[in-house]
Amino acid sequence: MTMERLFSGLMALVSIFLIYLAIGYVAPIAYDPIGPRPYPILIFSLLAFGCLVVAFRPASFTKAIELGLNKTIIRNLILCALALLVYGLIFEVLGFILATILMSFAVGLLFAGNPLKSFIFSVLISIGLYVLFDIFLDVKLPLGLLSGIIG
Amino acid sequence: MDTFDFLMHGFAVASTPKNLLLALIGAFLGTIVGMLPGLGPINGVAILLPFAFALGLPPESALILLAAVYLGCEYGGRISAILINVPGDAGAIMTTLDGYPLAKQGKAGIALSLSAVSSFVGATIATIGVVLFAPLLAKWAISFGPAEYFVLMVFAITCLSGLVGDQPVKTGIAALIGLGLATVGVDAVTGIYRFTFDSVNLSDGIQFTTIVIGFFSVSEILILLEKTTTGHKVIEQGKRSLLNFKEFTFAFGAMLRSGLMGFVVGILPGAGATIASAMTYASERKIAGDTGTFGDGDLRGVASPEAANNASACGSFVPMLTLGVPGSGTTAVMMGALTLYNITPGPQLFTEQPDIVWGLIASLFICNVILLIMNIPLVGLFAKLLDVPNYILIPAIAAVSFVGVYSIHSTTFDLVFMVALGVFGYFLRKLNFPLSALILGYVLGELMESNLRRALSISQGELSILWSSPITVVLWLLAILMVFMPVIRSIYRRKFKPAI
Repeated sequence: MTMERLFSGLMALVSIFLIYLAIGYVAPIAYDPIGPRPYPILIFSLLAFGCLVVAFRPASFTKAIELGLNKTIIRNLILCALALLVYGLIFEVLGFILATILMSFAVGLLFAGNPLKSFIFSVLISIGLYVLFDIFLDVKLPLGLLSGIIG
Repeated sequence: MDTFDFLMHGFAVASTPKNLLLALIGAFLGTIVGMLPGLGPINGVAILLPFAFALGLPPESALILLAAVYLGCEYGGRISAILINVPGDAGAIMTTLDGYPLAKQGKAGIALSLSAVSSFVGATIATIGVVLFAPLLAKWAISFGPAEYFVLMVFAITCLSGLVGDQPVKTGIAALIGLGLATVGVDAVTGIYRFTFDSVNLSDGIQFTTIVIGFFSVSEILILLEKTTTGHKVIEQGKRSLLNFKEFTFAFGAMLRSGLMGFVVGILPGAGATIASAMTYASERKIAGDTGTFGDGDLRGVASPEAANNASACGSFVPMLTLGVPGSGTTAVMMGALTLYNITPGPQLFTEQPDIVWGLIASLFICNVILLIMNIPLVGLFAKLLDVPNYILIPAIAAVSFVGVYSIHSTTFDLVFMVALGVFGYFLRKLNFPLSALILGYVLGELMESNLRRALSISQGELSILWSSPITVVLWLLAILMVFMPVIRSIYRRKFKPAI
């Protein structure tokens, strides 16, 4: 089974689950003739149908997709997604400066930077962007752990 | 007031010092974003959008900034196409075909300056087109009722699946995902919460910035990680860095034709710079016939795609401003920016918000002049930026993206959700589901539902209102034609084009 079929099949299942949820959306009073229910059911039905077509269509209708992935790339992709996820989680807790240093260092290494240079640039990027946004552009960023030390 | 007075009013809005400065900054950033391989106009506009909002810019200034970025990207894409044979954005793919051979012949400077001039000519033709046609279209569209709007949006989406991507079904799926994402949140009419899973963060719907940055920035970072190609060889510009008059007149016809064609393609929803530049390149090659050296460094091969991609970028503002239906993925994001300001784009914009509409149109002229002036002498400086390694660039882009999303609501939820959407977007992109269709679906989703429900309220639930007026019938027919477009195209190809 190809990635394309598997992914589309999964999307079809999710759409069907969402249709099931949408069936419960009934307004207590009918403000308009169709209410909140039919439109999402229509959209997700079409989506489920389209996904099923892609999942089960005959092979002659598909074009082979060259994913170009190997073990190292997949590992790096997972690590990068994790680094960004963790960055999102620690953004407020640790504060922008510390969180950005950690993320930039991790992502920098994944993009083939050497540890020393990556670290130096992580610190520069982090402080530079903090100064740019928080001080010059007045986009307030969280200080987190550093809030007692600076500002 | 007639069109000329409105345009002059627009120039007055666009040439206030603040708006001029924003146009300058936008043009500069746009050129850089467009030049960097992997980042295109949609990423640039998506990343800057939250800041325009968070900085408290008035809507017309925000749009001027974003439009400058958009046009700048179309200028910037050619720099890397010519110097390193890697298109900086999708619209510049055709530019590599002749641009890089020219650079190898030591004519990089000529190719760069010629393409800058072509970009200027193309964009100027298209902006004049916007001035002439947009008010007419808006006047006509003002008679549209909710039923006409609903069908118009159906048409826009089918247009996309007929023109974008190799597989219409996948484009359709992408658009439907966007439409589906737009149903999340409280239903405005009845107050019912849909697909919120009892989360307060979703009750207001999914934030537009979370969607665009997740899909276009986070997924882009993952895609870039796959190609950790480093060390492009940047070609020197050569002895002469300016084109001469003879070269200009040689390519001028190609610029004019491509500019016009690019404008027309740009107006169609969904068909953007990529299609415009490919079409004009092919037709110029045909016009040149045996006299051309297309593929080996023909000047017209650089002039035509560059005139076309800039023209189509400007042209794609026409449907956005007049109908509220964006003509490209990037204008879809800009339309989302307007909705952040609670402004619904549509024909009434022309009468209700002349500052926004005409300020934006005038700024297209101004941005073009700025970009032309900026791009000829500064091209060497821009080229230097191609040397910035990814391990510095990517973390900075990631951090700026997170700041953008955080600046709107300041919640951790949005950040985590954005990463999740980015991973989902990565899978969609790897499997060739076009994300520009998704974003168009998301932007149109709410309008589409509310227009459908309004139409059915008028008719008291009678579905026939959706095909009762002549306009709706024509739009339905066009939509059906678009659905069958790929089939028609393949039959046409088989019948009229014998295998080469």
